[in-house]
Amino acid sequence: MAAEATHEILSSRSNRDVKAPLNASIPSGDQSVWADVSSLLTLACEDLCDGELIHGVNFNLFAAMSALEIMDPKMDSGIVSAYYSVDEAIENGAAPIPLSFDKTIDIQRTIDIMDHVIACEATWHRGHSLAQTVFSCIYLLRPDRTSSHALLHSYCRVVRATCNLVVSAVSETRTNEEEDLFTITYGLQLKAEGDEKCLSILHAVEETISRQFRACKAPTSKKRVLEDIEPLQTNPDLEEGFCKALLCRLRFRKHFYHVLISMRRPQGKGLELARKHITYCLSELDSMLKLGEFLRLNNSYGTIVDGIENQTTASGCQPIGFDPTLNSRLSAPTPPRAIKLLSWRKAIEYFQKLLYDLHILCFCSLDSALEMVMHFVVEFQKLHPDLVARSYLQLLLVQDGKIFGRDPIFAVICKAALLPDVAKNHAIQTNEAVVQLCQLLINLLRILCTNAAWQRRKLGKVLQEWRIIYMQLEISFTHEFGDISSSSNGENLNMKICNHILIWVEEQTYWIASRFLMLGFELDLYSPSEYCMVYWYIYFVLVKLADKTHFKVMSSNDNSTRRGKKKRDSLKHLAKNYQIPAEVQLLQCQIYLAKGLTTMLAALRNEYNFFQNQGPFNSEYERFNQHFELLQKAGLPDQLAYFSFKDAADQARLSALSLHNCFKDAQRIARDLRTTFSNDPDKLAEVQKIEQVAEHNVVALNLIRRLGTLDPSLKVLFEFSYHPYFASAVVRRS
Amino acid sequence: MDTEQVGASVDQRERSDLPEQKDLNLVDRVKKLLGHRMLVGIKDGRFFLGMFYCIDKQGNIILQDAVEYRFTRRSSPSPMEQRGLGLILIPFACRTSCHVDCSIEEQLSLLSLNQQT
Repeated sequence: MAAEATHEILSSRSNRDVKAPLNASIPSGDQSVWADVSSLLTLACEDLCDGELIHGVNFNLFAAMSALEIMDPKMDSGIVSAYYSVDEAIENGAAPIPLSFDKTIDIQRTIDIMDHVIACEATWHRGHSLAQTVFSCIYLLRPDRTSSHALLHSYCRVVRATCNLVVSAVSETRTNEEEDLFTITYGLQLKAEGDEKCLSILHAVEETISRQFRACKAPTSKKRVLEDIEPLQTNPDLEEGFCKALLCRLRFRKHFYHVLISMRRPQGKGLELARKHITYCLSELDSMLKLGEFLRLNNSYGTIVDGIENQTTASGCQPIGFDPTLNSRLSAPTPPRAIKLLSWRKAIEYFQKLLYDLHILCFCSLDSALEMVMHFVVEFQKLHPDLVARSYLQLLLVQDGKIFGRDPIFAVICKAALLPDVAKNHAIQTNEAVVQLCQLLINLLRILCTNAAWQRRKLGKVLQEWRIIYMQLEISFTHEFGDISSSSNGENLNMKICNHILIWVEEQTYWIASRFLMLGFELDLYSPSEYCMVYWYIYFVLVKLADKTHFKVMSSNDNSTRRGKKKRDSLKHLAKNYQIPAEVQLLQCQIYLAKGLTTMLAALRNEYNFFQNQGPFNSEYERFNQHFELLQKAGLPDQLAYFSFKDAADQARLSALSLHNCFKDAQRIARDLRTTFSNDPDKLAEVQKIEQVAEHNVVALNLIRRLGTLDPSLKVLFEFSYHPYFASAVVRRS
Repeated sequence: MDTEQVGASVDQRERSDLPEQKDLNLVDRVKKLLGHRMLVGIKDGRFFLGMFYCIDKQGNIILQDAVEYRFTRRSSPSPMEQRGLGLILIPFACRTSCHVDCSIEEQLSLLSLNQQT
């Protein structure tokens, strides 16, 4: 009713000036009329005192302050800018079709649109809203209009289809906490009818342009045969360049679409194909860059945008057919923040990086054990992949509640807990606590795919859940199979499964704790004055982790040797083969480093007054609690309080022999491990980094010992130039 | 309920011959309009329909549960889009028209006011 009434009033607007509308046709309510109160209000306002308001009894000034201010550009997204609507924009020629009656200009403009869309797309991937970026393109908003322009039509179709694939991948994995604008589609037409056929349409257009390209390249003698082919545009000198520029853009879109489709294939079956398409994509992007010069030199129309960092097209021209303000009302009553689009060059770089990241994903080994999968994810995250790449990582890792959509979680846990193959079909997997454990593992994998900040927060929170599940498993196993601790090495498969799973859960929990602490370095959460307590905590967590890993390997060795050999032989066998597993040795290196750094930092503080915790706000005790609260709550490790840290730190001295030995030991073990990890490039790199850190710290330590007392201007800094988490000391004279 | 009470008091004041009768009249008349549906047009052609909540000396109006109406084209009558905005403040500077949904009697009294001025 209200809408109708308003419409009627408003329709009278056409006959009047907007500024002095209506008072005649006013069927508002049944018994009421629209009465003009402008002059009454004006007069009444004159009678008011300064600061006085006319309001009712239910008035709340605080609530009134939050009112949305109309016509304030920062609050009112409805301000009419250039056009009232998309349709009006089109009627006013904002997005003409054809883009120009001059065929050369038409092609140039089409290329500019393609480039600007890429810039918009990259900006969207970086976390801005779809409505303000890709869908600022009027041509994309009206799918039917482009149908007479085959080139633009095919491009728009494939862009919409690609956006749709990306939105579905990201929203399915929910890796987009901070970038929450990403998946909101505001009712935009992301799926137009016929978009699913985008590839065949694209292919047809590509075919035509390749023929035109061949025709213009052909020698004059053959030209006659090809005469029936109409050239792309009117200027023969530019024909080849324009054909090439269009071809690489179309082909990039085609292969990129293929990449996204192949990566989504279940159980990683499309990875090989995706790899091939990624290579094609990268080479097309290269061609686009190479042809940039040609387009810049031959832009015969349009205004050139100043500065290469502002140019969203290869030619440097302002594209036609874009208006981000048209969609601004879609998002919310308040206008979205203004976006600075990436430049065309930056956008190409963005896509190159995305494709490199996806390429690495394609090399994920589907047969590796859980530990390796986690390691892969951690290494992948070091490349700072963006939201889209991380979503595809998660889609690959966890599909249909299985790892890689193929391996049941329980089987993966059994393998990780070093249980024999028969265990994976054991009935214990229906145990409620075990089912929960499987769910926790899936969650963990998902968390590892999120951005570093969110990941750290989530990891801290799930630690408690892992502690609780340990207890639940323990209770549940005891309830089902009796006392499991008494027969830890028993032949009984039930007991073995219970014990191994429990050990593995503890190991995993400490792994999460260590990752939580390490991520703090990546996110720059620790100040140099806090390094000491952080390394102190890392030391204890790593010791526990090494302990649990060692125990896991030992108990599995125990079982396997017992099975095959007689008791007398097995003891001999054990003694002969006994050596610390390489993964534990690697942890030992890190433990030594952490211990060395803790002592060194504490000693520097005690003896030279460096790295004092001086801040006006928080005491060291408070900072300790803030950093490790989540670990403490989960009791990781037990009874590790600030006071024990304080005691240990106060006693540290630079002259202590143990300090020197810490770095020496780390260096020694790392050197030995080089051959062990010669086939594992990631681990080898880690070992080498550790060795470098240890070596530098030994040198720095000696230098401080020799010069420290003599030279008061001595400064010690800690840098992460060799290892992302373990600092190396740098000695300088100030 | 409240509005009725205010209305009653206005009537009383009108009957008495106080010197500030006219002033009281204007402000109180506006007070009577509080809670009515108000339709405000602004410079860029949009209209806002909401419940009259507050007005200050400068003539800035606050509407509650406001809905924005706007045409999809600048020229000729065209379909209209609308969306809910909630609590809004319409600054005096951008206001071009202001109507209140009221009974015929109320309108007559408003008209008499217009003639007076």
